[in-house]
Amino acid sequence: MFITTTNQDNSNFNTTFNNSIPDAPPSPPVSSLCTPTPAYFPSEQVKCTFQHLSSRQQEQLLTDIIDQCDHTQLAYLHNLIAPRLKVDFLKRLPMEIALAILSHIDKPFTLAQIARVSRHWNKLLKDDSIWKRLCAKYAYDIPYLHAVAQPASSPLPVLPASYRALFRRKFKTNADWQRGGQIRYVDHGLDGLVTSLQCDDKYIVVGCDNHRIEVFDTATGRKVRTLLGHEGGVWALEFKGGDDPLDPDRILVSAGCDRDVRVWNLETGELLHVLAGHAQTVRCLKMKDKRTLVTGSRDYTLRIWDIEQGKLLHVLVGHQQSIRCLDICDNILVSGSYDTTARIWDLNTGTLLHVLSGHQSQIYSIVTDGEKVATGSYATHIRVWSVKTGECLAVLHGHTSLVGQLELVSSPHTERGQPTTWRTTMVSGGADGCIRVWDWDSFECLQRISAHDNSITCIQTDHRWMVSGGNDGRVKLWNPHNGRLIRTLTTPAKLVWKLQFNESKAILVMQRPIDENSASDQGDKTVLEIHDFDP
Amino acid sequence: MSVRLLSSDSEDFTVAKEVAERSMLIKNMLEDVGDNDNPIPLPNVTAKILRKVIEWCEHHLGDPVTNDENERRNTEIDEWDQKFMEVDQETLFDIILAANYLDIKPLLDVGCKTVANMIKGKTAEEIRKIFNIVNDLTPEEEAQIRKENEWAEDR
Repeated sequence: MFITTTNQDNSNFNTTFNNSIPDAPPSPPVSSLCTPTPAYFPSEQVKCTFQHLSSRQQEQLLTDIIDQCDHTQLAYLHNLIAPRLKVDFLKRLPMEIALAILSHIDKPFTLAQIARVSRHWNKLLKDDSIWKRLCAKYAYDIPYLHAVAQPASSPLPVLPASYRALFRRKFKTNADWQRGGQIRYVDHGLDGLVTSLQCDDKYIVVGCDNHRIEVFDTATGRKVRTLLGHEGGVWALEFKGGDDPLDPDRILVSAGCDRDVRVWNLETGELLHVLAGHAQTVRCLKMKDKRTLVTGSRDYTLRIWDIEQGKLLHVLVGHQQSIRCLDICDNILVSGSYDTTARIWDLNTGTLLHVLSGHQSQIYSIVTDGEKVATGSYATHIRVWSVKTGECLAVLHGHTSLVGQLELVSSPHTERGQPTTWRTTMVSGGADGCIRVWDWDSFECLQRISAHDNSITCIQTDHRWMVSGGNDGRVKLWNPHNGRLIRTLTTPAKLVWKLQFNESKAILVMQRPIDENSASDQGDKTVLEIHDFDP
Repeated sequence: MSVRLLSSDSEDFTVAKEVAERSMLIKNMLEDVGDNDNPIPLPNVTAKILRKVIEWCEHHLGDPVTNDENERRNTEIDEWDQKFMEVDQETLFDIILAANYLDIKPLLDVGCKTVANMIKGKTAEEIRKIFNIVNDLTPEEEAQIRKENEWAEDR
């Protein structure tokens, strides 16, 4: 047995190895005596010698051998060694550390690749804690909200059975929103000018100038029924219900040029009440719930009705001109009028709380969250008022034409990728084709978007998307957080009447030429499009 | 104040107490035994890895301790740590195990993030190559998994 410590011994190695025969038969079993025999391949002897060296000596020997290698041999060695220095971390580490590693991966693309690596990696991805965290990260686990958050009354989110399934579904819906989903076209059963639209998962209800209310099935696009009875154009409608299993009926109210308010059971089509009282066209209405309704009219009054009993509760007088718009939050009722003022009322008693004076022209739009009121005027300004004191808190400039659309939106505010609090913004749309997004606390203008070539006819925003329709016939999908256009939602129409969307569907009502391919004008048709992002 | 640590291969390390106390395991042990000149045996950590861990603890001595998991999760690996973690996979593996055993959460996080960064954006085939993993899925199983995850295939 020899030990290499000096250069002298080193050369000794060389001579020994040089004498070896490359293609020698396998070495015979080696005895405990490791004597190098140059007659055959000394592999076993070298191994044995190597094992008996100290770790420093082993390193020295390896260095010496490597120094003898040419490029080809080094490459050979490299290929031999490199894979052996690799570690299947996720398999060899304790499960909780493997999951901690995966918790740093946010991209579904990479997770889908991980699932295919091996059986073990695939199994790790079945752990729902990974998907729960991702759902939180992508804000997929918060309940869907249409309007301003009302934490006290809003239902608690139901815990999903599988966060993986939830994530997958929401991610797909999200991707379909951006790419385009399935579109169902309904081009018969609607006619003329459309004034109002509301939909939920079951029904699409369209109010028309031709006195009719058309009800469609949201899933199939088939017409369920036509509600007949109004003797003039329908200008406003709203329905509530369908979310309470103990009281499942949806109640619809509608009103317009014939001055009467009609209350319907939307499920059966039954007419429940005809509420007479307004002396002029009813221009706007809003339900507080399935019991209380407020209407605003060209007769300068607002009326509060008990629609369950079918009786008038209060007549609100004071405005000197037509009522154009109204909004409700809890017991706060606000109204905007062509008399240039807005008014704040107590919805329970019908008492006037404040007259909001300041605008120089007609008020076209109004929203409230119960603490503040915003009003949009013909003269391009938006004013924000305090509900409590009635004083004007801010005048927002920027639009260059009348502000016909106002909307409040709550979004989860994220810090370092985690949603922390709710943040409210106001979205305004004008006849100037522009959309502006404002901070509801500081009144700072966050986004200025030149959205359409002509006035904006409708707009809706939630914490993910903003959809706008214009008189230029286009429907556009925006990112409300950075104001970027994501895509145009459908082929250009002549006009966009109304639109509404929820988490997985967008409903558009538009006017299109009867024959879009023909150059000659053969008239127009009213069409309904159901864009489904969760087929 | 200094503390003596004994690696699994019996190498004796003398380190400042506040450096050693970055390890919750050692900190708790010190609280239990009180002042005592005997070396603390660390039978799960070799001298080579303990040297690395001590180096890390010395560099991060002044770091504020954060218990906010989100904050820890979302902090990028700083430049020094990136350099520190430029080691072969076996060493990285041993550092992660040692950080876990010694209960040094921020070091464990850096280790986990380093491995995660090796995975991010890679295809399944690339991942297998990086970690020398043999694909033990049958072609049918793989096709099935691919189908299940079609929704996520867009980069």
